[in-house]
Amino acid sequence: MNSETKSRILDLHRRNTLLNTPAPSLMVTGAMDFGADERYAPIDERMIATAAEALEAGQTHYVDVPGIGPLRAAIADYLRTAFNGQYQQANVIVTAGIQESRFLTLQMIGDSVERVAVPEVVHPGVKKALGVRPLQVETMAVDAQGLPPIAEIRKALEAGNRLLFLESPSRLTGAAYSAESVAAIAEAAAQFEAVIIWDQGLAPWAEGYVSLAAKAPGQTVAIGEAFPGMGLASWFIGYIAAPEQWIASMQSQKQIMAICTSTAAQYAALEASKLAAESHASQLPRLNAARQALIAALGTTEVIPGATASVVALRLSAGKKQQVLKELQDAGYNAADGADFGMEDVLRLTISQDSTALLAVANVIKGA
Amino acid sequence: MANPAKTGTNLLYALIAQARGYSDAIIMGRGDPDFDTPPHIVEAAKRAMVEHHADAVPAEGLLALRQAIAERVKRVNQIDVDPATEVVVTNGGQEALMLMVLAALAPGDAIIIPEPNYNTYHDALKFARVEKIGIPSTAATNFRTDPAAVRAALTDKTRALLLVSPNNPTASVIQRADLEALIALAHERDLIIIADDIYDLFIYDDYQHISPASLPGGKARTLTLNALSKSFSMTGWRLGWIVGPADLMARVRELKAAITGGTSVISQYAGLAALTGPQEPVQMMADAYKRRRKIVMDALDEMGIKYGVPQGGQFVFADISFTGMDSAELAEKILTDQHVLVYPGAAFDKERGQYIRMTFLQPEDKLQEGLERMRVAMKNIMGTH
Ligand SMILES: Cc1ncc(COP(=O)(O)O)c(C=O)c1O
Repeated sequence: MNSETKSRILDLHRRNTLLNTPAPSLMVTGAMDFGADERYAPIDERMIATAAEALEAGQTHYVDVPGIGPLRAAIADYLRTAFNGQYQQANVIVTAGIQESRFLTLQMIGDSVERVAVPEVVHPGVKKALGVRPLQVETMAVDAQGLPPIAEIRKALEAGNRLLFLESPSRLTGAAYSAESVAAIAEAAAQFEAVIIWDQGLAPWAEGYVSLAAKAPGQTVAIGEAFPGMGLASWFIGYIAAPEQWIASMQSQKQIMAICTSTAAQYAALEASKLAAESHASQLPRLNAARQALIAALGTTEVIPGATASVVALRLSAGKKQQVLKELQDAGYNAADGADFGMEDVLRLTISQDSTALLAVANVIKGA
Repeated sequence: MANPAKTGTNLLYALIAQARGYSDAIIMGRGDPDFDTPPHIVEAAKRAMVEHHADAVPAEGLLALRQAIAERVKRVNQIDVDPATEVVVTNGGQEALMLMVLAALAPGDAIIIPEPNYNTYHDALKFARVEKIGIPSTAATNFRTDPAAVRAALTDKTRALLLVSPNNPTASVIQRADLEALIALAHERDLIIIADDIYDLFIYDDYQHISPASLPGGKARTLTLNALSKSFSMTGWRLGWIVGPADLMARVRELKAAITGGTSVISQYAGLAALTGPQEPVQMMADAYKRRRKIVMDALDEMGIKYGVPQGGQFVFADISFTGMDSAELAEKILTDQHVLVYPGAAFDKERGQYIRMTFLQPEDKLQEGLERMRVAMKNIMGTH
């Protein structure tokens, strides 16, 4: 069919480079996939039981837009205990996963301040969310670990930006801001009365982690997956925790584009909230050990230092990276391309606890 | 007096909050079926929690579900789609609606919207910075959208046409001749059609639901939304879809990846069970709505309230202009007096203040009681007004 209307809109979409940024898949497709954002995690049968009971009891209807009360309270609780965040139930919106958290925060807070500054290296989901509706986007340069240094953050604020997006840990390298850096970011945010969207989704796997939510609660909009590592990645459940003045506009947008989050996922997450602390404590050393074994097996390959046990980022020359990616693919493996995040010479492996597959990957990389 | 600043979704939420304060409230407003999801679907979800909890799900949805959707739209709607490239699974009809608007329109474009209409379309257009061109309709014509009125309203910026049939809140079904005329107009003026078929399984009397994409010239320019929320009583699962031509659907997929990334794997397996399992529960619910529709129409007749005869869907849109009151004021009074919640027409369109929407989504005895209380409230209100 020859339609000018269609050609025009398709052309607009085609030229929307933000929207079209390639992104890794969310969930691994099998034991040989190290490229997805989330590794496989088993699910506790108590979570299944709670979700099943809720459905059988008729929790199959619309629920409150920002989430069921007990889950909002449990997320606020978790943020207080795990990250020292100053949040109550009223500060929390349950989302249909991390991408909805990115979208609602960037688009709705962005709309009120008209522009946003994001790191040059960031999860492609951020660019995608910004591509949905035009917003002025500025970038902050990053250091070798993929994090904007304090000087860059200050520069963005001095240039008039009042909304910044930061990942800590970085979704590409796993590097996280130190306590001193977080304090400095908090101070800058307060000085400029800026809002920081703070993606802390990988935090459970970072030792000695400090959240901006603890240092600048009035300035921080924290986002993440609801209880990562608990087997809920494909159930799509995340959170936004924000000062109350930002909740209303995001909640009303959530109503417009979703009505609410699926009840099965919410009840499973509610049960996960009770199990997460213990589970994270037992998963972390195992992930760390798997990561160390991988690094040792990689020999002289340059590993970007990062505090996060669930990822390893390798620095490779651009030519080498293409070759490694190809050889991994030929051998049936998969890794994430740093180029999708804005860092050409990096390749990311999502750590699984299956050490045999990990060591085989190391061999392919070394051999390339 | 209802707060005039409260309109649209905010107005609804204020009334819902008030209704929650009454332990004996009867809700004849919200579009949430009273039936729980059929048990075989819940069972399938439970199995999926064990067997598929970590399945990788692409942004467009599981292939098995997309195949089931393709079969469904072929069987029910006579729309032919390729599950590989022409189906995207969404978080309910609501996300589908937002994605269709964003995929078909750019800021500054205009779209024709028959009015009144589902209020979220207004909100989605605002988000997308798209201009709305409203085509008003009235109870006197059972809220028919006149193709001649659509033609007269077109502007240079008009790029799309919204067709919700059966409509929410008016319960009108677009008749074949009108639909053919509208598709011809879309062809002549090169408009994309955004079709919302969410109530397509609930049709009354001799009316017939026809999907625009099933008619000649329809498919290549039509995005069609549907969801399991209303048909299988699955509002809490958040499962819907869009079907359409591959070129536009590729954009829908990108937008879906940017907004939510994917749809819960458990809901997808539940949806698969709904579409491929026994269809009797749908018929049982459709029969119940048919009986309830008659109960509501009879009660309104008795109260002397005029309405558009519901041709489909789950509600009736009634004209309360004889009260001399604005619908928000009347809804608040009925709620305060007798704890019965009906939705003010003003929530759907600020020009529709002389209507109220009543759903049939309550068991018959409760519906009867709600209508009886409403009769008492109307008497009290009219006596003092
Ligand atoms: C016409 C119409 N479209 C879409 C929706 C969205 O439904 P859901 O997101 O629950 O599937 C509704 C809900 O009331 C509706 O009435």
